[in-house]
Amino acid sequence: MAPRPLTDARAAWLGLAVAAVFVGAQVAVAAGWSVSHDDPTNLELTARCFAREKLLQVEPTRDDPIASSASGGTLTTVVEGNLVTVAIVSHASEAERLRQAYLALGGDVESRLEVRGRYVRLWHRPPSPAQQQTANDCEY
Amino acid sequence: MVGRVYAATVGAIFAAAAVLFTWNAWRFDWLRGYDAFANDLYATVVGTDFRLPSTAETSVWHTPPLWFALAGELRRLADGAGWEHVQRPGQLLAAAAGLAVCLVAFLLARTLWPERRVLHVVALVLTAASPALVRASAMYHPETLAAALAGAGLLVSVRGLRTRPTLATGAGAGALFGLGALTRAWALPMLCAALLALGLDAWRRGRWGPVVALAAVSAVLVGPWLVNQQVAHGDAFAFNRAAPATSLLERRPTSFYLGPHALHVFDRPVTPAFRNELVPHLYADWWGDWALTWDTPPPPAPGQLLEEGVVGARVRQNVVGIVPTLLALAGLVALTLLAVSRRSLAVGLLPLSAAALGAAYLLFAVRFPSTDGDTIKATYLLAMLPAAAVGAAFVVDSAVPRGRGWSIAVGIGLAVLVAVQLPFLVL
Repeated sequence: MAPRPLTDARAAWLGLAVAAVFVGAQVAVAAGWSVSHDDPTNLELTARCFAREKLLQVEPTRDDPIASSASGGTLTTVVEGNLVTVAIVSHASEAERLRQAYLALGGDVESRLEVRGRYVRLWHRPPSPAQQQTANDCEY
Repeated sequence: MVGRVYAATVGAIFAAAAVLFTWNAWRFDWLRGYDAFANDLYATVVGTDFRLPSTAETSVWHTPPLWFALAGELRRLADGAGWEHVQRPGQLLAAAAGLAVCLVAFLLARTLWPERRVLHVVALVLTAASPALVRASAMYHPETLAAALAGAGLLVSVRGLRTRPTLATGAGAGALFGLGALTRAWALPMLCAALLALGLDAWRRGRWGPVVALAAVSAVLVGPWLVNQQVAHGDAFAFNRAAPATSLLERRPTSFYLGPHALHVFDRPVTPAFRNELVPHLYADWWGDWALTWDTPPPPAPGQLLEEGVVGARVRQNVVGIVPTLLALAGLVALTLLAVSRRSLAVGLLPLSAAALGAAYLLFAVRFPSTDGDTIKATYLLAMLPAAAVGAAFVVDSAVPRGRGWSIAVGIGLAVLVAVQLPFLVL
């Protein structure tokens, strides 16, 4: 029996099938990777930097509902004796929301509050340049 | 599609593409494109001193000189005329070459399937609305000129193979491929594909004139450049950095080949995500703007936030790109099957040239790894666009029995594809 001639339609559908296999294979590899591997979050990278590179003790944030509401998470550490709560946000609008919430607390918050990109930091005392630099070094 | 509607549609698409490319070239900050400053140094040296630059004068000394000679001359004229933006004529040259790439795709489709007008229109729209081409057409860079010249060489070869190649076919294609290779080395693998196709044709027919003409003319044009590179830099394909002294297999990690973070093309397709993962990096750069050099401020420092909407616009582009990419892959496979089944070298040259360029690019990317992902750029594969667009158009026009209803559906699909992309494509 003679083989069926390859029509344009058949070539097109065979092409689509092969392309779907290529794309499916790439999706399968990526899905498999994402299921079996957890890429570190910015919070984890920041905590790792504080702990391993700055030799600071990192703890979860307690009793700060504003920082705890940050979409990227929060941590607390002490830099040269100055306690700092670090909150990580995803958008500039979220950073502004946290800033406004902190400012609404009143007092000397403004001098202790830092907003740099995705990082919102509230220090216990106004930070020194060296303390700020330590925190800046662990931004991702 | 009736004749008048067809002519009006094609004319309108070319006019729209011309306006888009010119507008963007006029508005795009020439320094935002990659290698822009180095390109200007090269163009200045060629345009004023009429010589090739040294390795100390520009980091793109390894790029062939044709575009720089043209841009340098335009730069000199613009300078003499007192233009403030002396690089803009070079950008307009890139825009004109981008339009020529669209013309090549359209004529390739017409040459292979003269009666299938929907196919011609689909190929043209997919080419003109391809973000990599639109971005490259605004840059101060030789990419589009090389793609246009190599594409024109492909077109002449296909036209010859479709009937009977002549000496003029070989000489014409050789001239175009040679000039393309004098613009960017990416034209060389396409030249090799054409040599193979015309060589097979000569074997069949016993007429070697066309393929000898192709080889001779292209060698006369590009040979001196390659010899110069070999003599001056010890490698005909010298690059601006030394290749690592390790085996090719060890130069890239497994993630380069597998693309484990590919799913992030749909949530954060910008630097530094999936950097140096070949497929997602190329895909996100083709359909969006992975390196953030198009319509945004430069990539922010670590810890800083991107402007609102930047990521969203690129996610949208990457979602839009799924169907055309699938169609392009399917098209190249379909054309290969068709060429083998019907023993058609004219059809086969399209996927063959795309495969040759893809293989050459893969070798380059593996040979010269970079930590910042600098050697992975979608625009390096621009010369593949006409073949991919024609392949995609073939699938669209063949998968379903043709009729008025299908033509209308295809028209609506193309309109949606363009409309969704317009906010990104227009600067």
